[in-house]
Amino acid sequence: MRTSGIRFFLLSFLILSAPLVRLFSAQEAKALFEQPALITSAGQSADGMQALVLAKKAELKADLIKMASAKDLENHKSLVLVLGASMKGLGAAGLDTNKEKERIAGLLAESKKRNIPVLCLHIGGESRRGQLSDEMITDYLPSAGMAIVVKSGDKDGLFTKICKAKNIPLVEVERILDVVGPLKAAFNR
Amino acid sequence: MKKATAIAIFVAALGLPSCRPPSLPVAVPPQDKHAPFNHVGRKGMVVAAHPLAAQAGLDMLKAGGNAVDAAVATAFTLNAVEPFASGIGGGGFMLIYLADEKKLTAINFREKAPAAAAPAMFSDKGDKQDEWRTVLGTAVGVPGMLAGWNYALEKYGTKRLAEAAERAVKIAESGFPVSLTFSTINKDEYEKLLKNAGETTCYLNGGVPFETGDIFKNLELAATLRLVGTKGIREFYRGEIAKKIVAAVRAKDGIMALEDLAAYKPEEVLPLEGRYKDFTIYAVPPPAAGGLHIIQLLNIIEKWPIREWGLNSTAYIHHLSEAMRFIFADREHYLGDPDFVRIPLRELLSLDYAKRVREQISPNKTAAAYPFSPFEAAEEEKENTTHVCVIDQAGNIVSLTQSINDFFGTGIVPEGTGFLLNDHMDDFSIDPRSPNAPNPSRRPVSSMGPLIIFKNGRPLLALGSPGGMRIFPSLTQIVLNIVDFGMSLDEAIESPRFFSYSADGRPRPISVESRIPEATRKALEALGHKISLKEDYDKYFGGAQGLMILGNQKIIYGGADSRRDGAGAGY
Repeated sequence: MRTSGIRFFLLSFLILSAPLVRLFSAQEAKALFEQPALITSAGQSADGMQALVLAKKAELKADLIKMASAKDLENHKSLVLVLGASMKGLGAAGLDTNKEKERIAGLLAESKKRNIPVLCLHIGGESRRGQLSDEMITDYLPSAGMAIVVKSGDKDGLFTKICKAKNIPLVEVERILDVVGPLKAAFNR
Repeated sequence: MKKATAIAIFVAALGLPSCRPPSLPVAVPPQDKHAPFNHVGRKGMVVAAHPLAAQAGLDMLKAGGNAVDAAVATAFTLNAVEPFASGIGGGGFMLIYLADEKKLTAINFREKAPAAAAPAMFSDKGDKQDEWRTVLGTAVGVPGMLAGWNYALEKYGTKRLAEAAERAVKIAESGFPVSLTFSTINKDEYEKLLKNAGETTCYLNGGVPFETGDIFKNLELAATLRLVGTKGIREFYRGEIAKKIVAAVRAKDGIMALEDLAAYKPEEVLPLEGRYKDFTIYAVPPPAAGGLHIIQLLNIIEKWPIREWGLNSTAYIHHLSEAMRFIFADREHYLGDPDFVRIPLRELLSLDYAKRVREQISPNKTAAAYPFSPFEAAEEEKENTTHVCVIDQAGNIVSLTQSINDFFGTGIVPEGTGFLLNDHMDDFSIDPRSPNAPNPSRRPVSSMGPLIIFKNGRPLLALGSPGGMRIFPSLTQIVLNIVDFGMSLDEAIESPRFFSYSADGRPRPISVESRIPEATRKALEALGHKISLKEDYDKYFGGAQGLMILGNQKIIYGGADSRRDGAGAGY
């Protein structure tokens, strides 16, 4: 009874502390980003709106511009790129895949030109993976200065592999709301 | 834990009898949720889009309820566990077979347009019309769901409304773990929910979408259902709930009035009848268009050598897609609410019509255009869903399709009620001259198509699906998979699907699940088709549920679609 109690305690501690360990390392890391941030979805999913809600919870100055283009970077000091495609979202925006890829490529080129750092978010979990999402992750994640990912979206290690290869700090969190902590820590006040 | 494992353990815990036909009984569904799996029963069976809903129906059967009681209990429970697809803020169609009387009847509880609706109410909104049709108060049709369920229970059931709602109330109070399907849809519809239901709504979890495994509770829905159970549907149509519905709709620029709710009545109608080979098909008539189109399509197909062509061969997909496009042309031209518009049903269901369509289809290329069929002028004169099938021990059958249209409907929740309002006004045509233009108190044309199919005078299949315009093409393919290609029920449901349509006489792409081989897709492109590639098992094509009744009800198979969270429960 006692042994199983200790086992239960240790198991619970390990499970509960896992996201905190990640979160702690993220908070310890030097804040890389300045406000205000421009948020846009790469793939027109509703995750862009979630990112805005999370940014508000993190008390950040941020604007969501669904169809952000290079000129929208003028008034922003960071770019938050929310990775994950939605065919429904693309259809509603009147975009095809190529046009959306062109938009993001233009945005990334401009951010590089202006030395505006890019924070990649993937908050849609396993349901926001798939061929198009994976293409975008593979194409855009290497431009990031940091990535925050809801863990279930990295079950196959795609984010881990790219971040490791490109030496990009990666923070994995268990749940969507856990994004708030590392997001807050990533920005200078 | 993998979802399939979770479901397997759940089903095992319930002790549901099940097997993989024809002769290998197993205790639990396979790990791969897409692997065909037929639930088996001998006395009764319920199939629905969620295991808890199917179980609620089965428990009602075991408690002495008949198929109608069980269907309504299942439908109530779906409001609690699959709130994004149907609920008391929506409407639907119920097809009933009464075994003792050998009689079929249908109940139409489709939403109606408010009395203030007008033909140009959407077309005059310019490029904002999508918003007015789907997320603003003008999108909400007068809900018919509770009136329909109550009518069915009072006339054909044995239980009271409160008894049918009991399981739904318990589940809404205690909660249940959210599936990947729920979570994915919740994420997709996030913006609408945030805008219309607000950050604190029960349909979001702390202002963000629910994730797989989160517990979803809906205490306000539980209270609403309990209230309706206690006070009756008058509370919904004329009482405090009615006031809350109208307030919520009007706060979002809607036009519904208390009088619209007070005036709502379901209708009992005679089913449509059609034949395909040795089978007799019964379906709900318009404004449910699904059944009509299934019969039209099967009439066209019957003279084609589809077995020679082979399942999902280039010729098969080409011919069926072309036929679908001609049917959509006639739908666009003729269909509306039959209480207000003359629909040439006899002509559309005739074999002459089928022959004329066949003659316009070339085996080698797509048609240049898809004109509607020139019948006598149909003069105006007075004239996104879930599916449940139930059979009880007496052989009574219910095939029920119900919906709030788009997932999570409009996203509007009347204050303190916990239920979502539909956006079925979106099913009216934008064209004010269309027979399906919005008009006072009319019902919009629906794609729903609950079916019961007979062979040799005995019920063989009950079938239905959500999926909007894909409903009739999907159901037709399932019927062909069984009748012409000899598949078991769930094999037929899980088999790859395709769909096409026409609009304004022009073809739209053929949407195909990616399991259709690339070589076939390329061959279709060579015939002039554009291809829109979907996922392997894409809920775009619906989530069909079905029953197969064999050997004079000695054995009942239940098939439930893995494109969503379909499940069966039998005994």
